[in-house]
Amino acid sequence: MARRPEDPDLDRELAGLPADLRWREWLRRIEAVLFASASPVSRDDLAKIVGQGVSVDLLIADLVVDLADRPYELARVGTGCMLRTRPAYAAAIRAAADVGGRALDLSEFDLAVLAAVAFHQPISRDGLKGIFGKEISRDLISRLSERNLIASGPREPRRGAPYTFVTTETFLAAFGMESLRDLPDCEQAEDAGLAAP
Amino acid sequence: MGNPRAEITETVPMLPPLPGWITSRPAETLEDAAFLSGAALAHLHLVAKESAIPQDLWRARLALAAAEVCVVLSGRREGAAGLRDALLLTRPGDHPGPAGDILRQWSRAVVRPVSVVHLAKTIVGASAERIALCLDASGRTPVERAARVLEAVLTEAPRAETAALILADAVLSKALGRDHILPLMSLRLKSRDLRLRGDDLRLTCYRAIGTGAGQAVGLAADLARRAARLKAVAPRLRAKGAGRAVEMFLSQDAVTPAGLTEVMSDRAARRMCDRLVELGVVRELTGRSAFRLYGV
Repeated sequence: MARRPEDPDLDRELAGLPADLRWREWLRRIEAVLFASASPVSRDDLAKIVGQGVSVDLLIADLVVDLADRPYELARVGTGCMLRTRPAYAAAIRAAADVGGRALDLSEFDLAVLAAVAFHQPISRDGLKGIFGKEISRDLISRLSERNLIASGPREPRRGAPYTFVTTETFLAAFGMESLRDLPDCEQAEDAGLAAP
Repeated sequence: MGNPRAEITETVPMLPPLPGWITSRPAETLEDAAFLSGAALAHLHLVAKESAIPQDLWRARLALAAAEVCVVLSGRREGAAGLRDALLLTRPGDHPGPAGDILRQWSRAVVRPVSVVHLAKTIVGASAERIALCLDASGRTPVERAARVLEAVLTEAPRAETAALILADAVLSKALGRDHILPLMSLRLKSRDLRLRGDDLRLTCYRAIGTGAGQAVGLAADLARRAARLKAVAPRLRAKGAGRAVEMFLSQDAVTPAGLTEVMSDRAARRMCDRLVELGVVRELTGRSAFRLYGV
């Protein structure tokens, strides 16, 4: 995430308020920032809107409790957090809310390529070609990177130093994972007969 | 000029390995393990003072070994070579991938002296307050402190092995009076070990530190020998910037010719690497014909 300069007008310490109101105000600020952000917000960025040395972890833990009876929850994604509606309201949201711009809108094959990147990262277009048995178009890759689901990783040590691709925190957020280790275990899936070895 | 490898043997320092009675058999009880790990650490303490050891390089190589362990713990398969590639072939601004990220955390962690600020910038997903708490951990012995930190971090976040191990080794190094992290405990742990708690975990930590210290002492002896050979040929290198280049080889796990271009031209950097390999003081680490990486 791009580093933003600190706003000198933002009163971080809130020295004029009594302790409990100050805490409440910090909680509200964090909730407001998470509400306004399209992508997960890192803990470091949240630390910039509360008093110096205040524990962001404790604030986040309090916020999780505050949100317990809301239709949305605080989700930890990679190193950051975001607000997310609870899955139980998916049908209602799909029926009435205007989320068109935020839907991933990817074809089945796009998703298959994305899954291959997730499991085999870092992997280059050539590596993907080896998996799918056909050329993976630049358009497909750019569709995935436009949606910020993949990013460029280390170069492959071959002629031309092709880029490899890795998944991003947005990818984790989009699929409701906290880390890459939430990906289904390939070997387990094979053992269970769910996937061809 | 004859055989270039021949004349540089007498300056090579000898560092004694761990005595055989420490390593002869694995400790069964907590007392045995504590005693043996203490003996190993005392031996390491004396060896580590030897001026012939290239300290930065020693820590960098141990960090690589620790990162390898952490990559396995996180369920991935990249080995040392894959980790090096991931880190060194990532251009600024790109992401080194999940395995490269683990090596990046380790290698950044060992470069600077242990401090809350530095570790907070280095370790992914650990807040400064959490790190400060860990570094202040109490315990009667250094190993006990490290074991407590490991247990505390893993209990809170069972999948944060890398953070837990960097912090545990940081606490251990601090308790042993070192400024920098010297990865010791993280060199031999398995995921089964990290699920243990209480006395079982302590026993595992004692054992891990015993074997880790042995591995670190062996590596130190090896690197001291290699560094002495590199230093012996350094005066013969007449290229501009050769002194700085030798320093880089003595402080980094692996060097790319491109990495040397801050002190010399691209062409000169390539020739320098080839020359050092020819002299037998530096190895090419990858076996590739392009995108080569060199190290002592």
